[in-house]
Amino acid sequence: MSTIIKVKGLTVSYDRKTVLSNIYLDIQQGGLYGVLGPNGAGKSTLFKSILGLIDIDSGSIRFKEKPIIENRKKLVYIPQKGDVDWNFPATVMDVVLMGRYPHKKIWERLDKTDNEIALEALRDVGIEHLRNRQIGELSGGQQQRVFLARALCQEADVFLFDEPFVGVDVTTEKKIVQILKRLATEGKTLLVVHHDLSKVVEYFDHVILLNQRLIAAGETIATFNEENIAKAYGGQLTILNKPALLTRKK
Amino acid sequence: MYELFEIMQSEWALRALIASSLVGVMCGVLGSFIVLRNMSMIGDALAHAILPGVVFAYIFVGVYSVLAFFIGAVLAGLISALLMTWIQQNVNTKNDAAIGIVFTAMFSIGVMAISYISQEHGVHLDLKDFLFGNILGVANEDLWLTGAIAFYVLLSIILFYRYLFVTTFQPVIAETMGISTKIIHYFLMLLLSFAVVASLRTVGVILVVAMLITPASTALLLSNRLKQVVLLSGIIGLFSAVVGLILAIKFETTPGPAMTVTATVIYLLAVFFAPEKGLLFKYLNKRNAQKRIFLEDTLKQVLKLHEKGVLSLSKLVDRMGAPLAKVKANVQLLAKKNVLQFDGKNITMTEKGIQEANRLVRAHRLWETYLVQQVGLNTEQIHEDAEQKEHYLTDDILDEMEEHLGYPTVDPHGSPIPKTRKLLKHFLGQLLPGKKGIISKQQLNENITSRLWELNLFPGTTFHLVESGTDFIKIKLEQGEIELSKSLAQSINVDIVGE
Repeated sequence: MSTIIKVKGLTVSYDRKTVLSNIYLDIQQGGLYGVLGPNGAGKSTLFKSILGLIDIDSGSIRFKEKPIIENRKKLVYIPQKGDVDWNFPATVMDVVLMGRYPHKKIWERLDKTDNEIALEALRDVGIEHLRNRQIGELSGGQQQRVFLARALCQEADVFLFDEPFVGVDVTTEKKIVQILKRLATEGKTLLVVHHDLSKVVEYFDHVILLNQRLIAAGETIATFNEENIAKAYGGQLTILNKPALLTRKK
Repeated sequence: MYELFEIMQSEWALRALIASSLVGVMCGVLGSFIVLRNMSMIGDALAHAILPGVVFAYIFVGVYSVLAFFIGAVLAGLISALLMTWIQQNVNTKNDAAIGIVFTAMFSIGVMAISYISQEHGVHLDLKDFLFGNILGVANEDLWLTGAIAFYVLLSIILFYRYLFVTTFQPVIAETMGISTKIIHYFLMLLLSFAVVASLRTVGVILVVAMLITPASTALLLSNRLKQVVLLSGIIGLFSAVVGLILAIKFETTPGPAMTVTATVIYLLAVFFAPEKGLLFKYLNKRNAQKRIFLEDTLKQVLKLHEKGVLSLSKLVDRMGAPLAKVKANVQLLAKKNVLQFDGKNITMTEKGIQEANRLVRAHRLWETYLVQQVGLNTEQIHEDAEQKEHYLTDDILDEMEEHLGYPTVDPHGSPIPKTRKLLKHFLGQLLPGKKGIISKQQLNENITSRLWELNLFPGTTFHLVESGTDFIKIKLEQGEIELSKSLAQSINVDIVGE
């Protein structure tokens, strides 16, 4: 496996309060990463830094040894579904087609091929029949699938998911995990901010444990242990660790 | 009418018509984005804030110059936009307060400047023209400017449509695609200033916001697709402007307000009559739902009372506590649907009716089971909620709930949960002669169960199917042979022995 994203000495602060401090990470191509840590650990900030959405204090982030800015369309972000006005006058297809925008020059129109790619993505996530629905008419799980379909459409190399399983049904969660695993075998790299520690071993082959500093990063089997979890979650561990450790003992 | 036609052919009226049309379309189209981005207040503010720009342009150039007006207005608009954003980001003042502070200040400076030049220079600049427009005085050069601006604004929106869509819908995604939401925001402010300047002569600064937000809000009630909203908004803007102008000429009133009133009337029509989002549609939907619920409740009561023998209409009315006429109408409607049979006095249920009523009972009892098993409520808390939910749960959801709950046979009160046909595999009426079977414990509904008890066909009874005709079947039991009607046999669930 080769390194696709290299984070070197990343430090970020908001209003003089340090959120991420001196992070070094080698993210391997084809890895399925769970990004873990308590609230305020800097998980979202790490994503925003990788996506080039915020100014960083120091350090560098490189995609295949080049600046991220030059490779924007190779990275795709799947945000939480809560931050959107679901009454917006748009259909499922309209939103999914957004994934094709980075491939178009300003004067180019979307064409048949884009439509086919979007339909294929919708089929993939199992909501092709909903393509003409207004997005507000969908359930939480279906809305998350729309975002996933849009990301698939973009044909990116790196996928950054922000808590994709929040507010979705069990079937959708299974479907998303299945697609994540398939994408990883296709050589795509996936980073997933995740909260439910009981599913970590089952879902991810790599983990990144954060708490402002990098606590640990590596293969799940070697890295996701009591010691590292305790370090990352500190006092909050007592409630969270039980299911996680139960799963590990199996 | 002929007189009006005459007037419309004169040159000034034609100019006014062209100017209004351009402004109507442009404001309508641009307005869709303004409304969707919650920028209506900013639109109004910008319109007021350009006043000093226009006045100072007049002071500097000294004569009435369309180009100077345009530059002054756009500059004032941009300065205001930057000021508002700066305050919002750097000062501890609420967002809408910042907008209010900037535009009232700018507007006041403009008003003061107007009185200054009319006193000091003896020039007469009519404030009223700025506020409400003076479309009847549109000159040729005004027309050219309006045309050029409308062209530029519309072209920009077509060209940057995707950028506007994605930044409006989900700014974060736009940023990850390398589209700067900030630049798009200021670009829209620029277009807005352009549109306001172009509308100055037509509707004036006070009412331009109506042309921006009223047609767009109307279009948003009528469609669920952005492209359609933009197009519709443009058409409604155009229509309002033209109709408003004609009305103003006919009734010799000010065109700006006439256009605004026209746009508002169309908006009100949409508020009431729009399909799906209109109040009338919502009201009818709600009433239909209420009717359906009342009908379903009637059916359920019939099922309950029916089990105790012959059911008269008066007994049902007593039980339902609703007016006789209403209940009777419901019963007649249900009879029409072949769910009940009603001879004017007594009510009997058809097999179809029993099926439908049992669907409701099943929904009710499954929901109660769910509330107790999964949510942890106690048995006293669940009935009321189930009375509501039974009318809304679909078959798909019920099937999934049933599976999830592990196919419960009784609800928390101990009453049996009716099964659907899907879950029961074999029916006596469908078997071939010679088959051996057992009367199953689970039957479609209590009605079937009680009929079986009357016939001494208890669950677990073994039988041998002797004959299966078109109207009846014959089965052999330990104590002898009995005949059953075919229609009953079609509904008796059995387990087959020896397969």
